[in-house]
Amino acid sequence: MSTAEFESVQTLEEQMVESAAPRDLAMDARNLSVWFGKRKVLEGVNIAFPERTCTALIGPSGCGKSTFIRTLNRLHELIPGAALAGSVLYEGKDIYDADIDPVHIRLKIGMVFQKPNPFPSMTIRGNVLSGLKLSGMKRDDHDAIVESTLTSAGLWNEVKDRLDHAAGDLSGGQQQRLVIARALAVEPNVLLMDEPCSALDPASTLKIEETIRELSKNVTIIIVTHNMQQAVRVSDHTAFFLAAENEPGHVVEQGLTTEIFSNPKDQRTLDYVNGRFG
Amino acid sequence: MTILFSEQTSEESAAQKPLHPWRKKPRKFTISVALAVVVPFLVVLALLLYSNIPGALVMVIVYLPLQLLAAGITAVYNRGVRSIGDSMIVVLAIGATVFSLVILMSVLLSLVVRGIGALSAHFLYQNSVYINPSTPLEYGGIGHAMVGTFLILLIASIIAVPIGIATAVYITDVRGRAVPYVRFFVQAMSGVPSVVAGLFILTIAVSTGAFNQSAFAGGLAYAILMLPTVARTAEEVLKLVPDDLRTGALALGSTRARVVLQVVIPAARTGIITAILLGIARVIGETAPLLLAAGNNDGTVLNPFDQAVSSIPVYIFNNVALPYPDAVTRAWGSALALMILVAVLFTLARVLGRGRVGKY
Repeated sequence: MSTAEFESVQTLEEQMVESAAPRDLAMDARNLSVWFGKRKVLEGVNIAFPERTCTALIGPSGCGKSTFIRTLNRLHELIPGAALAGSVLYEGKDIYDADIDPVHIRLKIGMVFQKPNPFPSMTIRGNVLSGLKLSGMKRDDHDAIVESTLTSAGLWNEVKDRLDHAAGDLSGGQQQRLVIARALAVEPNVLLMDEPCSALDPASTLKIEETIRELSKNVTIIIVTHNMQQAVRVSDHTAFFLAAENEPGHVVEQGLTTEIFSNPKDQRTLDYVNGRFG
Repeated sequence: MTILFSEQTSEESAAQKPLHPWRKKPRKFTISVALAVVVPFLVVLALLLYSNIPGALVMVIVYLPLQLLAAGITAVYNRGVRSIGDSMIVVLAIGATVFSLVILMSVLLSLVVRGIGALSAHFLYQNSVYINPSTPLEYGGIGHAMVGTFLILLIASIIAVPIGIATAVYITDVRGRAVPYVRFFVQAMSGVPSVVAGLFILTIAVSTGAFNQSAFAGGLAYAILMLPTVARTAEEVLKLVPDDLRTGALALGSTRARVVLQVVIPAARTGIITAILLGIARVIGETAPLLLAAGNNDGTVLNPFDQAVSSIPVYIFNNVALPYPDAVTRAWGSALALMILVAVLFTLARVLGRGRVGKY
């Protein structure tokens, strides 16, 4: 390899670092502003989500974190009066382009909600496989999928003997892990989690956090959380959202989780992560 | 790992306009959908104009399959094989909606066409004393029947609405031992034919001499028919109120009666109003019970206990089959008036029921 070639490779890497080359990114929100009717709830959000990392979105209630992640898999537009400007890149393309099918986007960018929502009429096994059925995916290895996703979600040992029981019989924490397994069964590239542990006890929370750590080796995870310790435990990057009274929310500061929590640049971030407001 | 974040651009984003990118469609999508709508339409138009096949047949055996096919092809062309089901459901849903609207509109239209000749101010408030079937339309009206119908509905509502809602509360909130039986009987009662309700009141109230044929007797017969509809609909809407609200109120030290009156029913208010409206809609056109229990009268009767009273359904029944064109027009006119009355009543109830606070 000649020196010239070596240098050019170097420059390319440098460029990638500097220009946030989409190749490295699972998703990239660019200058995203969001409205409900006339009310602007988010302004100019720029966050890049590198592949196979976990990013935590923190901030007080009502600052637009949940709204933001709902724009990332096109659930936002289902709310009447919703509007949006800016772009969200996934695999280098804007997911809001006219020729993009939102069904495909939601298949590739899964979501776990605050309240566990297993389908009550289905069994545990049926819930795990429901995504395959709903999205029309054809797979033969159903048993293998059930076992591997439930194992990834940290639930396999607890339910392996009662896969044909109703999902409603499970506890809240188990239900939440079941819907995580359900989301994983369709093999998403990105998993959005909107306060997945806020209704759970510490033991279930710990299990789900382990699950998230494990999953983020293969899947890009974006998690909204009100729990500072949780953000520190599970995430690589953190973005801090804030909304002044009657102002749209925006990102005050973002960076490596260790930086945000130990050495934030903004006074408001320092106050928030130390529990002095919010 | 290096973080790859771009700079914030706040001046730029403050100037952004709200957009709806999900409403944008690619050009080929717009064109193909337009084709899928226009082509079947033109084919059917041609068939209707240049062939002798009956129109209804063309719609069912040509238009619907053709439209489904066109929608399917468009769906596959734009979004792949998986979206066929989506497009079929959209076509069938729109088709069914249009179909029911067409039927509804043709009913309304025939009412308007045949009845509009009778409608005038005096038709709505004058009564039919001194009017016989051959009297021209310049004289007489259905004021007496409007007053009668209104009185009967009022009496029926006063009886059936509280009992119906109380029955629903018994099922959803009191949850007594008899719930399964009550529910069964309410269900069975909704199958009572209206003529049976009329006969029942006729035999137990009118023939025994307890009451005359009157607005009150008619109201009783209507109440029997209204009750199960109100009770069942109210039960459904009360069931929709989450139990969290009930436990929340109980945890504040509320008695069960207060939970129902101040939390559950207010939360279900729009639904309760719907239950009442459905009850009224169930009975408003019923003729048989009134023929038997309320009778007929050419004059206006305001006393609900005194004597037989006219009502719009009975007026229509008595006039529509007469061999005098003006009498028939009067019958259609009063049917039209009844429809308008229903529309006004329902709009009024909806407006009154619109609350400023949230509800289920």
